[in-house]
Amino acid sequence: MKRTGVFVCHCGINIAGTVDVKKVAAELAKHPGVVHAEDYVYMCSDPGQNLIIQAIKEKKLDSVVVACCSPTLHETTFRNATKKAGLNPYRCEIANIREQCSWVHREKSKATQKAISITRGVVEKVRRNESLEDVSVPVTKRALVIGGGIAGIQASLDIADAGYEVILVEKSPSIGGHMSQLSETFPTLDCSQCILTPKMVEVSKHPRIKLMTYSEVQEVSGYVGNFKVKILKKPTYVDPDKCTLCDECTKVCPIVVPNEFDMGLTGRRAIYIPFPQAIPASYTIDEKACPGMFDTAIACGKCADVCKPGAINFDMKPEIVEVDVGAIVVATGYDLYDKSMMAEYGYGQYPDVLDGLQFERLLSASGPTGGRILRPSDKKEPKEVVFIQCVGSRDPELHWPYCSKICCMYTAKHAMLYKHHVHDGQAYVFYIDIRSGGKNYEEFVHRAVEEDGVLYLRGKVSRVFEDNGKLIVWGVDTLTGKQIEIAADMVVLAMAIRPSKGMDELAKKLKIALDKDGFLAEAHPKLRPVESMTSGIFLAGAAQAPKDIPEAVGQASGAAAKAMAILSRDRLFHSPTVARVIRNLCTGCGMCVSVCPFEAISLKEGKAEVNEILCEGCGTCSASCLRNAIQVKNLTPHHIQEMIKACLGG
Amino acid sequence: MVSLDQLKEEVKKALSSGKVKYFIGYENIGSGWQVRPAFIRQPEDVDRLVWTPACFHNLVRFLHDEKRRRAREKNPDIRPVGLVVKGCDSRSINVLLQEKYIERNDVYIIGVSCELTGVINITKLNQHLNGLKPQKVLFGSKGTFKVIVDDREIEIEAPDILADRCLECPANFPVIADVILGEEIKRNPGNRYQSISAYEKMALDERWSFWQQQFSRCLRCYACRSVCPMCYCDECVADSIAYAVTAETTADEKAQKTRWVERNPELSENIFYHLVRAIHLAGRCVDCGECERVCPVEIPLRLLNKKMEKEAKELFGYEVGFDPAQPPLIACFRDNDPQDFIR
Ligand SMILES: Cc1cc2nc3c(=O)[nH]c(=O)nc-3n(C[C@H](O)[C@H](O)[C@H](O)COP(=O)(O)OP(=O)(O)OC[C@H]3O[C@@H](n4cnc5c(N)ncnc54)[C@H](O)[C@@H]3O)c2cc1C
Ligand code: SF4
Ligand code: SF4
Ligand code: SF4
Repeated sequence: MKRTGVFVCHCGINIAGTVDVKKVAAELAKHPGVVHAEDYVYMCSDPGQNLIIQAIKEKKLDSVVVACCSPTLHETTFRNATKKAGLNPYRCEIANIREQCSWVHREKSKATQKAISITRGVVEKVRRNESLEDVSVPVTKRALVIGGGIAGIQASLDIADAGYEVILVEKSPSIGGHMSQLSETFPTLDCSQCILTPKMVEVSKHPRIKLMTYSEVQEVSGYVGNFKVKILKKPTYVDPDKCTLCDECTKVCPIVVPNEFDMGLTGRRAIYIPFPQAIPASYTIDEKACPGMFDTAIACGKCADVCKPGAINFDMKPEIVEVDVGAIVVATGYDLYDKSMMAEYGYGQYPDVLDGLQFERLLSASGPTGGRILRPSDKKEPKEVVFIQCVGSRDPELHWPYCSKICCMYTAKHAMLYKHHVHDGQAYVFYIDIRSGGKNYEEFVHRAVEEDGVLYLRGKVSRVFEDNGKLIVWGVDTLTGKQIEIAADMVVLAMAIRPSKGMDELAKKLKIALDKDGFLAEAHPKLRPVESMTSGIFLAGAAQAPKDIPEAVGQASGAAAKAMAILSRDRLFHSPTVARVIRNLCTGCGMCVSVCPFEAISLKEGKAEVNEILCEGCGTCSASCLRNAIQVKNLTPHHIQEMIKACLGG
Repeated sequence: MVSLDQLKEEVKKALSSGKVKYFIGYENIGSGWQVRPAFIRQPEDVDRLVWTPACFHNLVRFLHDEKRRRAREKNPDIRPVGLVVKGCDSRSINVLLQEKYIERNDVYIIGVSCELTGVINITKLNQHLNGLKPQKVLFGSKGTFKVIVDDREIEIEAPDILADRCLECPANFPVIADVILGEEIKRNPGNRYQSISAYEKMALDERWSFWQQQFSRCLRCYACRSVCPMCYCDECVADSIAYAVTAETTADEKAQKTRWVERNPELSENIFYHLVRAIHLAGRCVDCGECERVCPVEIPLRLLNKKMEKEAKELFGYEVGFDPAQPPLIACFRDNDPQDFIR
């Protein structure tokens, strides 16, 4: 009564070169219950698929085994062909005789024997398969974008422009990310704010974008097409609808703390707006700085006294907002490597040793010096500036092994802009090598050297110390082998790019993986660079790896397109090979509940119950259950045992 | 000292107030010194109860029967069952709670402290007495046992005849109970893994042949499994003769029954059974030592379980049976779990 068909693929010589495919077909033809066996050069081709369809119809096959490449490649192809022939697609299984056989063996006779065993095993499996129907779920047509840097902004605009709702969550009081802090941008030297702010305004005015600043993702549950997200909206204590941006409050606020937008080069009040073009355009009271917030201290309330429209509300409470979304884009960007790690360069010790973002602030027209390059220590114009690249990057022993990628370019930009400001100054750049791959990037670096006379010194700096009002930089020029000593007025460190703070907690909440350096891991380094390993969650910008603006924007649009591919569908289909509970064996111990990585199992009336939509069929539950009481459909212990028996010839 | 009168009093109270359905303790076998589990249903029967160093049985496994009985009956009496438990036994209750097999109010627990001793190993006692027949075996004062032989009283230092598990016991005091009798006196267990140290020194092939010899004796009488407080599955995966067929069992399920082990007690089948059991007890076995005690062919089963216990402790810092709220060993994952043993 079993009528199985076996189709052996040559895959050109990929399989046939090492496995005697004719023999495999001939041997399988003898296997009990196999009523049809044949080989063909490319089973996945149209004629190959037609052979299967024809055989199913003519020989009334009730199950199909295709012995070919890995099921990750053509399982869908052959299951679709099976369906086309009128058979349930789950009555078709793949025997992997390429990756698991021909590619890893040399001796033809043994490889052939192994291919026969593998195929026999799968024949025994498929004839025990149930016919299953796909599980289908409706899709929530709304996206969540986490991180409001340029990557998050671009992804939000793309998705919203395509007609879907977007919730953009940004943890700081304004969107814009690091790009809002930059002066001019390589390689064109256009003003960063000038190209960024129109996009920020577009976000704030977009009818389909709901902006949630000063907010953080607190909890994520659910699955592709149907995520449930809890967002914590921190209180700003200022009603943005009432605030008229009159700035009276900051004039009376007595508290001054370092201004993070200026990277600590200036101070700001406890009530503040991050920068004039901030979106949303409103003030925020920094809870940690304002004495009015501590119940032990005397409430100050000076700002509230002067706020004419009465926008200040000390009673504002944190709020948890729950949203349903179908897809998530993570664009949480980067932070600079902790400078305190670089004691040898005197960061923190000497006020005139800066990092790249601080230098951007000095260059910026809206910065603390109004765009003039002045030393923080004495407000004098530095005449000798040393730029050090790869600080903390490419240093597997002490710091990070990877290349931070953007520092070569922005250091060239910094040296060049410095020369534009200080014509009689000298800029030195210590580098390991210059990486300027990118459109017009190489030309840009050349311009710095040739037109602006920036002195590039190949080598490492061993120490920076102060002597007589100068910063003495000791280094080696590895090209000449000479020791170099420069008495500089300012030193700028190109710090390694790190994933933004809090990335690991967020990744845990989202159940997505990080790579070895802590950046978000993509599903495939080449073919799926904007997808996370969890379906429905996509990656954009510097959160995935150090990136410059064009790359961050490009990836953001890619991630948006991927998200839209989900949002544009009414229903998603899900494999039915999910776990099933054999209720009378289940004792309700709940071990499967705690091991399931997809939170697909719950206990109902003392027995495990699987949510088929959440279940990915990974089988972890099945491995943990002491009683075999939870089994993945079409891959039960019974299937496995019969496969082993058939493989071993039993 | 644990007072037998107090024990009787507590049991009587629990029975006469109707708080418990029945009570399980220990009673003497005939007029001898050996004991067996006693099911006490009437307050007036409490005088049958004893508490001696021969009360080595772990009574917790009787809760399985009670659970099955309840599942069968239409209107079951759901009052708790009363139990006398030692430290080790109490930890097995915690594991059952952890695995949601029972609920806390399914059992009324009278815990007894082992104080400075524990329970005895009969073989060791017989060896010690060198052919003499004991009439009574009792707790002595301060860390000794008192054995009456030929109407003579002999004091024996506890370590000389203590069960191996007591020598390695991590907590000789009940960790969960409604009433506790006796004092909580810490007895220093010494090396908790003493019994396996010799086996750990064996080379792999030596170990393999050691276990082959042991397992070839196994009768597959399943006494080890029946006595085990953790072996409560209705259908053991190692069973190929009997499995739970209920009204809910579908024809499909019946057809899909896997026969991992054949019934015949051959070496290959025996090994499979014992290795499955050992793995299934990892992080669950509280080392009450019952399986080893009941084995008619003296297979040193504790060694397997002790080894798993040690691995769980050393690899994951996991201690069995102290906290009913902690997730079971194989169901918990922490980011800082060691992974260096994965090759
Ligand atoms: C000194 C310097 C100079 C540079 N100059 C140039 C240049 O000239 N040209 C160029 O192309 N590139 C330049 N770059 C690179 C540029 O800054 C980045 O490519 C760009 O900012 C990346 O954008 P992003 O959106 O991925 O990340 P970010 O700009 O870092 O934005 C991430 C956003 O996510 C938010 N966020 C983080 N975590 C969370 C969370 N858990 N929840 C919610 N929100 C969160 C952050 O607050 C931030 O707003 C420079 C970089 C540096 C360091
Ligand atoms: S692990 Fe097995 S017995 Fe325990 S709840 Fe899950 S299915 Fe039931
Ligand atoms: S197979 Fe089991 S562990 Fe895996 S997702 Fe499904 S229910 Fe969870
Ligand atoms: S180990 Fe001993 S008690 Fe267990 S089944 Fe074998 S013979 Fe019986």
